[in-house]
Amino acid sequence: MDVPVAASGVRDATRTGTRPRRRRSPVAAARERIGLTFVSPSVLVMLLLVAYPLGYGIYISLFDTNLLNRWDFVGLKFFNESLADPGFRRSLVVTVVYALLVISGHVLVGVTLAVMLASDVKFNTVFRAILILPWLFPEVVVALIFRWIFDPIFGILNHALSMLGMISSQVAWLDDPIWAFVAVVFAAIWKGYPLVMLLSLAGLQSIPKDRYEAAALDGAGRLLQFRYVSLPGLAPILGVAVILEFVWWFKHFTIVWLMTKGGPVDATNVVSIDIYRTAFQSFDFGRAAAMAVIVLFICVAFAIVYRRTVPDEEA
Amino acid sequence: MRSRSSVGGAHPIYYPVLLLACAIVLVPVAWMISTSLKNETELFSDPPLLWPDSPTLGAFVRVFEDYPFADYVTNSLVVVLSATAISLTFSTLAGYGLSRFRFRGRGAFLAFLLLSQMFPSVMLVIPYFKILKTAGLLDSHLGLIITYISFTIPFCTWMMYGYFRSIPKELDEAAAIDGCGAARTFFTVILPLALPGMVATAVYAFITGWNEYLFALILTNSESQKTLPVGIGQLIGQYKIEWNELMAASIYSTIPLMLFFLFLQRYLISSLTAGAVKN
Repeated sequence: MDVPVAASGVRDATRTGTRPRRRRSPVAAARERIGLTFVSPSVLVMLLLVAYPLGYGIYISLFDTNLLNRWDFVGLKFFNESLADPGFRRSLVVTVVYALLVISGHVLVGVTLAVMLASDVKFNTVFRAILILPWLFPEVVVALIFRWIFDPIFGILNHALSMLGMISSQVAWLDDPIWAFVAVVFAAIWKGYPLVMLLSLAGLQSIPKDRYEAAALDGAGRLLQFRYVSLPGLAPILGVAVILEFVWWFKHFTIVWLMTKGGPVDATNVVSIDIYRTAFQSFDFGRAAAMAVIVLFICVAFAIVYRRTVPDEEA
Repeated sequence: MRSRSSVGGAHPIYYPVLLLACAIVLVPVAWMISTSLKNETELFSDPPLLWPDSPTLGAFVRVFEDYPFADYVTNSLVVVLSATAISLTFSTLAGYGLSRFRFRGRGAFLAFLLLSQMFPSVMLVIPYFKILKTAGLLDSHLGLIITYISFTIPFCTWMMYGYFRSIPKELDEAAAIDGCGAARTFFTVILPLALPGMVATAVYAFITGWNEYLFALILTNSESQKTLPVGIGQLIGQYKIEWNELMAASIYSTIPLMLFFLFLQRYLISSLTAGAVKN
């Protein structure tokens, strides 16, 4: 997913809930009504199209069901079974490793390139235009391009490597558990780093220049300036970006599914693929719904723990 | 840009790093273009041809002849444009309401918007499968539109909320003093100012829908209803993959996003970063 959410709002939402209620004057009551009028269509749609399916999904997770004629109430059985199931646990581990590698890649590549683009490097606009490109490719297209590049017989990668004498026979990259994992991580990093790059670039440009001048006067070189001026300046943006990225890539499906179908031998069996298979290939909808609820809890828990442990840079 | 650059000079090492990064971006793109211009024999030549000897646009024509590609494009456009228009309307109203008025449940609504970003999409697709089936909307445009709205509305509302907050409240107050009611203030004073934010929000909603794969994969099955990502994605399941046609189809599906970016990049980047930086 490549749609950013206005990042500032993430912070705001945590604040608004605790605001003490003031006593309402008639004017305030009238304004409240107007506010509700503006918001109610959206609230209705959210209740109908998000909250209801969500609740229904949790409901399904309590049943052993094919969604047709079999609805056997099983309570939390599928939750217990899923959490104890080595296959599901393994897919959770694969997903965590996948998400963390992809996010680290995005931050590392995105911030590095942003620092360079924020300097007075020549051909800045050209570099910027090229480096933004992957962001503009649909995920399906990215998956297909890399499948074709990694193709064992006609792929350009094998060709290039054998020309360089680095491999002697054709490698079936996507049929090897380790290489397949590397490949799906690489494709995801390739696709997603421009967003972090753009956000970091904007963040860097908003840092007042005098902070760098002050640091330079104190004798800080380029690296120290990055560590003590740029990085703290970027922290709020990166903080929000990491939460959102974790959630996006934790539930990612498209690129991995189209490149490897979760294989070989489940090496890239991320949890979305696991759930998809359980639901729409085994028709074990209740179990799949329970697995999905567990994923929701993991994402929410990550967001909460992350917000608590990563210090808020805002004064 | 240059005047606001962060650290004065560019270190010499920047150039090889940036060039390498550009190469890593451009090689796959060039390989895609080169492949799409190849004919059957060049496609499977050994060693692979870096560039076809006789470039042909045949693959670009054949995708329309050999597959219901025109249907895929139409379906994608219908579904995504409808979902975008509906989401934009609702989220603009809600974003304004959230940014200007206090009311009971406001905090809860904001929190729910945030929480809705946490759902694994695969989590909603199971109940939706059942709901649409019961309603007879499986394998229909309307069914897809409904589900697309469910994930575009929350983030569109976030974006519009963020954008409205950047428009000074004093404008509303001035309009009120001039005797404008809430509706008139909104439609004649604030809405025109919010246009850039609306453009950016609409484009993001469009991109999300245009990219969407999982829901369309599960909720449609006839060729006449499939969207572009699903249509392209299934070409790869065939016994013999015609990579030139696949790459041509990929290029087609990327064009709208490229055009959007080319013409609207100023809006897109500033709205993307406005909230983040101002904090």
